[in-house]
Amino acid sequence: MGFDEFVADRLDRLLRYATAIACDKHLAQDIVQNVLMRAQSKWDRIGAMDAPYLYVKRMVTNDYLSWRRRKAAREVAVERSELARHVPSMADPADAHAEREAMRARIAVLPRKQRAALVLRFYEDCSDAEIAQVLGCAESTVRSQLSRALQTLRAHELARSATLGVHS
Amino acid sequence: MNDLIRQAIAAEADERVDPRTVMADLHKARKRKPLGMIIGVAALTVAAAAAAVIVPTTIKKTETAPVGASLGQEAQNVLLVGLDDVNLGDALVLARFQADGTAALVSLPRDLLVDGVKINTLFAQDPKKLTAAVEKLTGTKVDHYAAIQMRDVGRIAYLLNVEVCLRAAITDPVSGVPFRAGKTTISGDYAVAFLRQRQGLPNGDLDRIKRHQVFLAGVASQLTKERAVALAHGAAGMIKIDQGWDVLAFAQRFTGPVKISMSTLPVGTPVQNQNGFAYEADPAKSKEFTDKALAGKAADPGDLCVN
Repeated sequence: MGFDEFVADRLDRLLRYATAIACDKHLAQDIVQNVLMRAQSKWDRIGAMDAPYLYVKRMVTNDYLSWRRRKAAREVAVERSELARHVPSMADPADAHAEREAMRARIAVLPRKQRAALVLRFYEDCSDAEIAQVLGCAESTVRSQLSRALQTLRAHELARSATLGVHS
Repeated sequence: MNDLIRQAIAAEADERVDPRTVMADLHKARKRKPLGMIIGVAALTVAAAAAAVIVPTTIKKTETAPVGASLGQEAQNVLLVGLDDVNLGDALVLARFQADGTAALVSLPRDLLVDGVKINTLFAQDPKKLTAAVEKLTGTKVDHYAAIQMRDVGRIAYLLNVEVCLRAAITDPVSGVPFRAGKTTISGDYAVAFLRQRQGLPNGDLDRIKRHQVFLAGVASQLTKERAVALAHGAAGMIKIDQGWDVLAFAQRFTGPVKISMSTLPVGTPVQNQNGFAYEADPAKSKEFTDKALAGKAADPGDLCVN
């Protein structure tokens, strides 16, 4: 597959994926652009692989998880946790949209690697093995990252329904 | 809850920017690539890093720098990291570049243990962990780092004719590449095999370090201004540096041919642990050695032929 063909085919999906893990479309754009420029310079090698998309996705993930991006990611998290505080009180609890927005806000404040694992599982439908490959860690680590993320989300979910229960 | 998570992530993903914007930016970036040396700041930075890092003799005197450009520049310590395919540190070199571009290099054996951990595993975890370990080991502050995939070095080598000298003919049992005894010119896959071979060498990784050093010296002796430009283009995108590094300012110091001295950090007792073979580090001796070596007081390597 040529580089141009790859970009035409996968750019939207890469942007969606990057936006989902970074929770910031501009940061995601920056990451994807950087990664694609790097990928292009070594496309003869990447293009010959069995799964170029998986490899580029790994590059995107590594870039996001790298320490260079730590500061940007932290700023996004702070901003989102501010938002998260307001979402439940402003919205009608019965509203599916509000439910979803509340969940979005909770996902946005998870640790970066946990969120990446979560997105790979629930958005990209990856297996443990594929997630391990993308994150560059052991499958056992993938499982523990996912279970920790789910635990946090569930705890929030319970707390939320409890609060709503009291009010209704 | 899983459905809710799916919906939430999909909603987040939907926020993405318009792919056409990114496409347009990519095209723009691509168009100016041939002129990257002049226009693209990013490309220039990488190119300067390549020129500055791979060999500090690339920029010839004809390329006149503003008078006094190198004045007021302080010596900088740069950690050069050669990575294998899974981002393990295959080659670690601590270099001190003086204000005049003179460089003193100390190779750090990748099998060294710092706090019980092999230093070659640290970069993949976090480059900062590696620089911290090197600082602890050598007692020297690491100002910046630059990393390159070892297999990309081969592509750089295609642009050059690097002459090396082998003491005896040897075939790398891993790559199957045969090397002749005596002086030989290497490039491409041969160069990569030459730089990566460890098995079948009398002193294993320590011989490999010698090979890295003579290769760098070979690169240094082969560079012309024209080649430096090709090299900088070829290396753009291959080198990863820390973000806080003003490489352009750094590169100003290379206004003419400079001297490089090279040495290898002595290692302690070899140990065998569950992760295989490693060397104990001796922080006190390492510090003393590094201080001397970076001050340019390393012993003359003499014979440049390697195993």
